[in-house]
Amino acid sequence: MEHDHTNDMRIRVRDSATRTLNRLTAVVAFGAIAGVAVLGVAGSYTVSGTTSSALGATASTSTTSGTTSNALQSSSTSVGSSSSTGVAVSGGS
Amino acid sequence: MNNTILWYTTRGAGAVSLVLLSAVVVLGVLSTLRYESPTWPRFLTTGLHRNIALTAVVFLALHIVTAVVDPFTHLGWLTAVVPFSSYYRTFWLGLGTIAFELLLAITVTSLVRGFIGHGTWRAIHWLAYASWPIAVMHGLGTGTDTWSVWMLAIDAVCFVAVLAAVAARLLTTSPDPLAADRARFRERVSRKTPR
Repeated sequence: MEHDHTNDMRIRVRDSATRTLNRLTAVVAFGAIAGVAVLGVAGSYTVSGTTSSALGATASTSTTSGTTSNALQSSSTSVGSSSSTGVAVSGGS
Repeated sequence: MNNTILWYTTRGAGAVSLVLLSAVVVLGVLSTLRYESPTWPRFLTTGLHRNIALTAVVFLALHIVTAVVDPFTHLGWLTAVVPFSSYYRTFWLGLGTIAFELLLAITVTSLVRGFIGHGTWRAIHWLAYASWPIAVMHGLGTGTDTWSVWMLAIDAVCFVAVLAAVAARLLTTSPDPLAADRARFRERVSRKTPR
């Protein structure tokens, strides 16, 4: 009688642990799928190439403006029309 | 499929694979320590270790397939199989190939453990201690997001977790209650075995 009771307890503990194992595995699997999505989106905001190339473009504009300062100062309308030439004004002054 | 989505998936799956691999290593070390409690029997550790390892292989496959089929990278399937055959970042991608092949060897031998014997399985399973750091080096060397704050945080957490588990393994003596009996048995068997 005592032996049966102990076996029942063991079976219950093992069943409970198996359910826990299945639940944890499902959580890990779905968490990993969500992780790929979340980290993919996070990665899309931290693409190093995009940021550095934009900075490079700004730098090249200002350098060019330094060599052609007269032309830029004479045409004030074009400077106001776009942001890249707006940077060029600082080089011309 | 959009090339950009493939690229983001490659990066996301790579980071997730690192997390999963680190969890597999930690659980593997915990299973050797024979950790258990009334609510956490030992087979839960080994079962979770096995299941997460298989999940890691799936996500690693996703990482590799999306990287190879991405037409922008032109890596080719040979890069995924032959180490150091890539034209792009040859060394760092080669490390990734080696880490993947070691993991594949560990997984396959674990699935056929009953056929190859415990000794062979155990010897090959030790490769896990090489596979994980090689995978980490691959990520640090060629990862686009290596220096992002979130990726550095993931790397740090994985590194500390694995280091703590390995330290616990080295500092803790085997709690195997039959360790002394096993040693005595092996000694007697080796004495009786004719040379």
